[in-house]
Amino acid sequence: MSTPTAGTPGAAAHNGNVPRGLDWQVAVADRLLAGGVTVAAYVPDSRLDGLLARLGEHGLPLRSLTREEECVGYAAGQRIAGRRPVVLMQSSGVGNALNAIGSLVVPYRLGLPLIISMRGTLGERNPSQVPMGRATASFLGALGIQSFPMRRDSDAAGVTDGVLGLAFGAQESAALLLEPDLGGGREHR
Amino acid sequence: MVAVNIVEATRVVVDVLPDALIVSSLGTATSAARLATDDGPHFYLGAAMGSALAAALGLAEAVPERQVVALLGDGDFLMGASTLWSVSAWRPANLVVVVLADGAYAITGGQPVAPSLRLAEVADALDGLAGVTADSAGSLRAALTSIDRPGIVEARISERVWPGPSPFVDPAEVVRGVRSNIAAGP
Repeated sequence: MSTPTAGTPGAAAHNGNVPRGLDWQVAVADRLLAGGVTVAAYVPDSRLDGLLARLGEHGLPLRSLTREEECVGYAAGQRIAGRRPVVLMQSSGVGNALNAIGSLVVPYRLGLPLIISMRGTLGERNPSQVPMGRATASFLGALGIQSFPMRRDSDAAGVTDGVLGLAFGAQESAALLLEPDLGGGREHR
Repeated sequence: MVAVNIVEATRVVVDVLPDALIVSSLGTATSAARLATDDGPHFYLGAAMGSALAAALGLAEAVPERQVVALLGDGDFLMGASTLWSVSAWRPANLVVVVLADGAYAITGGQPVAPSLRLAEVADALDGLAGVTADSAGSLRAALTSIDRPGIVEARISERVWPGPSPFVDPAEVVRGVRSNIAAGP
């Protein structure tokens, strides 16, 4: 039996083209840690990579899972036990996650903070990313979940704290949308 | 082979693992878990097909001191089957997965589940995961007693019955129940 090796994303072969240590990545990660987040469930994304690396460096358990819906289900299991999970995904995975959000997280009021790296919006050059990206906030809104776009480093602490407040305080899931203006994505590749 | 139905199989699970927290998938698994535990404080899913195993993985990692049983219909398991690979990756030592394999989508009218599951073979192919097939109450009991964790048991169901209690649960009650169960300890 081999032992699990996953942990810090890309620890074995980090691609130097994927930026880490950006100001907003550090700020969001540090506010998640300050807000008592206990585990991060995610499907990888280039813009999320540095954020997750920062969380991992501070000892937060990171759970790379196979599908966004699975991240939501996993987080629901954590949340019902009173833990404070955060779920991170690319906007293209929101469609995969909707059933678990709409028929588990919302009716059970298991407030989850969702951090969504946006594709398909400003500057997107891949046509296949556009329909899901431009519909992300509408999909979530149709399930009653508020989305808060983040476009500047200076928004990071306030938006992160606010999303955590809704999720863990009001028990209402809420989404932080990481917009392309922040940098760190791959809209142009 | 003695005929086994979902109620009998679930009663074996509860009898062998009386202190376990159960996460049941929508439909017959939730109905059977409610019946076998006398509506005990467990994590009954009322929908979210395909997400019960992921929820059980999250719960198992959140309460490592408790045994967690994922009690799944075969259709539900298949819809979220990739989570088995995540169980293989993260290996919670307190999680047992029981797939009630009756070969049918019971809640929508009993339409057949097309593929064979072969979960023991699948588990054998994955890292860090045990797998057993059980086709009688006795073999299910033996499997639950001895299987390594994390492990998956394919409980082959040969007699179809509807357990009785509604699978349409009150989410707020479920959440309160699970939290009280965790607070009370094993």
